[in-house]
Order: sequence, then C-alpha cells, then structure tokens
Amino acid sequence: MISLQSIAGGKRAVLLLLLFLVVALLLLPESRQESLMVIGRPMATVIAVPLRGMEAANQTIDSLVNRYLALQHMREENLALRQHIARLQQENARLRETAQATTRLRDLLELQERLPYPTVAAQVIGLDSTNWYRSIVINKGRKNGLAADMGVVTTAGAVGRIVKAYDRFAIVLLLNDLNNAITGLVQRTRDEGIVEGTEKGLARIKYLPLLSTVKVGDQVVTSGLAGGFPRGLPIGNITKIERREAELFLSAEIALDADFAKIEEVLVITAPRESAQLPANPFTFQPAVPLTPAGETR
Amino acid sequence: MKVLGYAWLILLLVPLQVVLVDRISLFGIRPDLPLVAVCLIGLYHGEIDALLAGIAIGFAQDLFSGGVHWGNLCLKPMLGLIAGLASRNVLNLTGGFAFGLILSLSVLSGTVMYLLKAFMGPGESFFFAARGIILPQACYDALVSLALLKLLQRWWASPTPQTALSYE
Repeated sequence: MISLQSIAGGKRAVLLLLLFLVVALLLLPESRQESLMVIGRPMATVIAVPLRGMEAANQTIDSLVNRYLALQHMREENLALRQHIARLQQENARLRETAQATTRLRDLLELQERLPYPTVAAQVIGLDSTNWYRSIVINKGRKNGLAADMGVVTTAGAVGRIVKAYDRFAIVLLLNDLNNAITGLVQRTRDEGIVEGTEKGLARIKYLPLLSTVKVGDQVVTSGLAGGFPRGLPIGNITKIERREAELFLSAEIALDADFAKIEEVLVITAPRESAQLPANPFTFQPAVPLTPAGETR
Repeated sequence: MKVLGYAWLILLLVPLQVVLVDRISLFGIRPDLPLVAVCLIGLYHGEIDALLAGIAIGFAQDLFSGGVHWGNLCLKPMLGLIAGLASRNVLNLTGGFAFGLILSLSVLSGTVMYLLKAFMGPGESFFFAARGIILPQACYDALVSLALLKLLQRWWASPTPQTALSYE
C-alpha cells in the first residue's frame, strides 16, 4: 500500500519534473521546439471543432447585437421617414385639391366671363336636410342679389333653380328632382317640352310633338321661355325615346350633362333676359347646332 | 338652462344635418338627425318638451329643404308627442324599445312625407319610395338613435341612490 505521505511526495516530484520540462522547453533551441508541433497539430485539429462552433456562435451573437442596434436605429429612422411621408402625402393631397379647385374655378371664371348674362358665383355648402328632395345649399343669398326662380349653372350646363333665397344662403332644387320642371328644347329638331326629374335621379323631357324626329343622342337645351334660364344652356342628351299608344305627346329620357353628385361651385344667373349675344359655345359640351341667344326668334 | 340647451341643439342640429351628415350616408340615404333628436327628447323629457322642440327643429329643417311645403314643421312635433306619450308607459327605457319606437316613427314620418308629396305634386311610386327612402332611412334612424341612446345612458348614468339602509 502507498502511504498518503508517499503520494504527496510523488506529486511534488511530478510537479518539479513538469516545471523542469517547461523550463527545458523554453531553453530549447527554436529548431527543436518544432518537434512539439507533432503533438500540437492533432490537438489543434481537435480543438478546432469546438472553436468553429464557438466562432459561429460568436458571429451569431455579434450579428444579433448588430441587428438589434441597427434595428433600434432603423426604427427611429423608419418613424421619422413615416412621419415625413405622411407630411408629404398631406401636402400632396392639399396641392392636388388646390390644383383641382383652381381648375374648377378657372373654368367657372371663364364661363362667367363668356356668358352674356350677369351671374353670381357661389359655393355649395350643403345638401337637402331631408332625403325627399334633391337640392343643394349655396353660400350666396338675397344680399348677393339672388332670388327665387333664378337659374343655376355649372361649366357642364344647367343644374337647377333657386327655390328658397335667404339673406346669406339659398336652396337650389336640382334638375333631377321630381318636383323640378323647366322648359327645354331639343336642339336639332327645335321641339319644345318640359324637362323634369325622375324618381331614379335622371331627367325626362315631356310633351314633345308626336311627329317629332327626335332621336337618341340629341342635345336638349333650355328654351328660355320661362323660368330663370336663358335660351341655349345645355341640359343633357336624349338616351331613350318613349312612344306610347293613345298618347298625344312623346317623352324622352335625358342623361344630364352635369354630374349632380360632384357639384362644388355654381353660377347663378341673376338676369337671364339681359342677354346681348351668347357666344358660340361657352360650355364644355359640343352642340350639334350653334346656340341662339335668349329672346332671338327661331 | 333647458331652453338654452334646446336652443343650442336647434342651432347645431340642422347645419349638422345639411353639411356633415352626408359623410355618413349609406347608398345615398342619410339619417334624419332632427327626427332622432325629437324622439329622444320625447323619451327623456316628455311630450311637451318634444312637441316644442319638434316645432322649432321641424321649422329649421324645412328652411333648408328643397320642398315648398312645411312637412317637417307638422311632422316633427307629432313624432315628439308620440315618443313622449310612449315613454310614459315605460318603466325602464331599453335599447330595444327605443329602436322599435324610432323605427316605427321614422316609417310613419316617411309615409306621411310621401303622401304629402304625392298630394302636392308629381308623385313617385310608393313601392319605389318605400324601398328607396322610407325603409332604409327608418333602419338608419333607428340604429343612430340606438347608438345615441347608449351614449346618453353611459354619460348620464346616475349612481345608485344612497339610502339610510346603505350606511348600516
């Protein structure tokens, strides 16, 4: 049996031997130290396996840290860019709105200058307070010279007539309302009738002569005989002719020129009878026959 | 104070209906906020308040309508009166009751408006009016009134009254 003391003495001897070997290795000439690589290379190969694993893990950690840091930065940048985009979108929308308003107002101004009647420009500020009438509220009233029964036009043509005028606003009943009726004229055939709205939001011209040669596509204009409209303002085009047996008159459906869902600015004709000379075509539509000024005989 | 509140309501309600309500229109149908307001006044404050508010609100609404007759001036007080009388028989105002009542009153209002229009001028077919205006508007009015009622009940929810027994 080996005693504890002898083990301690042996251990001390091993330590001394190892120390001696290390010192001896340090003191060995450089050429001899190469011989140690015989043991070192296979050992390095073995160690390289976990080393690569560690390296991969380190790179992953590094990448994650970098990505996190980059994300932190990108998040701030992204937020700033989003705010910038939102600002630009708002500005873009505002500019588009301004450009559209400018175009609309320029067209309206051109129309106002070309129309030979005194007109007042107004802005649409609201719709009818019930669902039963198709009317709009405009921001001009009696203080601006408006009164009931005055005709209202846009760049597309006639859109309605004023039914109620207050000091600072007025109610305009649109042409596609069932309760509205104005005198109209088929431009090509010169047949007169009554234009009134339909329940579907379209319009119809009634009381055309039975022998009229009116056909689909004919332009209908205001006749200027009654109401607040001068002669020749475009209303719409005929889309369907209704010939019913045992009826003394024809009627026809009209597709209105103006888009009634998108009316924003209008001109109110304050004195339709004071016409001098209606220009060839002040509106955006193309008539088949030149317009005639109000009061001129056919 | 109540008069002042009604005055503000009348001043704000009709411009709101004319200018802003179009933004929440569904298929071209807008809720009749004055009708909803008059009915809710009737349900909450009784028939006299609703009758008086209905006259003022109906008159203001007719000012901003393309119609030449004063349909709302006649109708709105009547609707308020009916709503006020109906509320007398109710112990607890529930959403279902308010929904049903305002749906019925809106249908009644639409039918009377249709008849008024038909008597006064060129009338559209009742089927078209019922399908296109009366029923959709009644549903919309009832839904809006239900939402407003829930809001009002939440805002004005009073705490349980403290009685002597509460402190025992």
